[in-house]
Amino acid sequence: MTRATIVGGGMTSFGPHDQPLEELFADAAFASMDDAGIAGDEIDAFYLGNALGGQTESDTHLAPKLATHIGLQGIPCQRFEDACATSSNAFKHAVQAVESGVHDVALVGGVERCTPETGLGTGEMTRIFAGASHRQYEQPTGLTFPGVFALLTKRHMHEYGTTEEQLAEVAVKNHHHGQFNPKAHFGRDTDVEAVLETPIIADPFHLMDCCPFSDGASAVLVVSDDLADSFTGEPVSVTGVGHRTDAVPLADKASLPETRAARDAAAEAYEQAGITADDVDVAEVHDCFTGAEVLAIEALGLFEDGTGGRAAADGETYIDGEMPVNPSGGLKAKGHPIGATGTAQLVELTEQLRGDAADRQVDDARTAVAHNLGGDAATTVVTVLEARA
Amino acid sequence: MSGDRTSESGPLAYADWRDRLEDGELVGLECRSCGHVTATPKRACIDCGDRILDTCSLPTTGTVHSETTITVPPVGFEGPYQVGVIDLGETKLMGRIRGDEGVEIGASVEFADTVELDGMPAPVFEPVE
Repeated sequence: MTRATIVGGGMTSFGPHDQPLEELFADAAFASMDDAGIAGDEIDAFYLGNALGGQTESDTHLAPKLATHIGLQGIPCQRFEDACATSSNAFKHAVQAVESGVHDVALVGGVERCTPETGLGTGEMTRIFAGASHRQYEQPTGLTFPGVFALLTKRHMHEYGTTEEQLAEVAVKNHHHGQFNPKAHFGRDTDVEAVLETPIIADPFHLMDCCPFSDGASAVLVVSDDLADSFTGEPVSVTGVGHRTDAVPLADKASLPETRAARDAAAEAYEQAGITADDVDVAEVHDCFTGAEVLAIEALGLFEDGTGGRAAADGETYIDGEMPVNPSGGLKAKGHPIGATGTAQLVELTEQLRGDAADRQVDDARTAVAHNLGGDAATTVVTVLEARA
Repeated sequence: MSGDRTSESGPLAYADWRDRLEDGELVGLECRSCGHVTATPKRACIDCGDRILDTCSLPTTGTVHSETTITVPPVGFEGPYQVGVIDLGETKLMGRIRGDEGVEIGASVEFADTVELDGMPAPVFEPVE
């Protein structure tokens, strides 16, 4: 059943941007409004995702600040923070609001700056990202986020025999896809040897197994189903939004490689949409590290447990494969401006379901899934989007 | 504070855990209702939600459940160093792993020391010969 409708999407290019957050966000917001054919005075509410602005740029209370900058001052505005799942959680709340009739038209978006344009170097940003791990029981060990996903992934390698070469194949695939995305931070063909030659960040991850630090913004317009045809933007149906969490610190998780929150969120989203994993034509998943894509495609049920490591190497997750994953290039190549990532996945899938994705278009894409994960996989939001019949 | 608690000093708080870690002791909590054990303080059981938790002594030897060597550390740390999730039998605990070679999943390790960040200690494990 349709819970809400996306009628417009837009995003900036991901990469270094020397602009204030409000200017960066305005570019994405206006692109989404123009795509939808919605004027500012038709927007009832604004749901913003920004994870780190307080730490990176001493910039908080961002929702009304950004609203003011784009002519939306006065309407209800709220900011969400759930680590890397920030803007998909904002999206979930917007869907609930239009579904229940609280609002008719909601702007949902995210913005973040993580590159050295912020004035922060790698060590400082690594410390800020590590803030999503447990303050008392993880941060004092010197754990980093590449380290978090290394711990999850090495357990997968131990249990299923997944190899470093298979992980590198995920990077090769997503960089291949990224070259077809004009908004992507990176994207050019590479190979497994080149990935494995880059320096180790946290073993088994080499530099090329890790998503970049990116700046960027993204936004979608969410309206109630009965207003879906009231605007010029071609509508895409939101049929499921699942949201689940898991234990922090990660030593308390029952299993490291299963990413339980993603499995539970997927089950919830699929049930709402009345679909199974077999119905999914295209997926955007949270590949902050190559191993994270392997865990995600298994948790979503797109591949059986233990077989996700082979998917990219076997060609199955390429745009023209059996189960295309991350046609945008994913976080790995498209980039990962933390708070902007969740809605950027939805922008990509909206284009895919409209058939507007040009060189990275997945054939006959009718049902799409977004998997956006936060922190050490302790938050996951899974969204099902469908082309309108 | 509950009167029927068998723990020495009521609910295990961070300050107690920290002090005892620095004294060379690993302590956790066991749920009186379902028996679930955690290696770090909670105010309720993460398995059943019950609030009556008894402080329990944890073994100081275990096996490496997962590990990584971090080469690019946060500011304030100097890499490389190894971090692992240590399986202590009934529960797991994250810590540093110290050793010249680095250890692999399944290796036996022993609680040996602590490292500190901003006054917060983390356990350090060493390989058992």
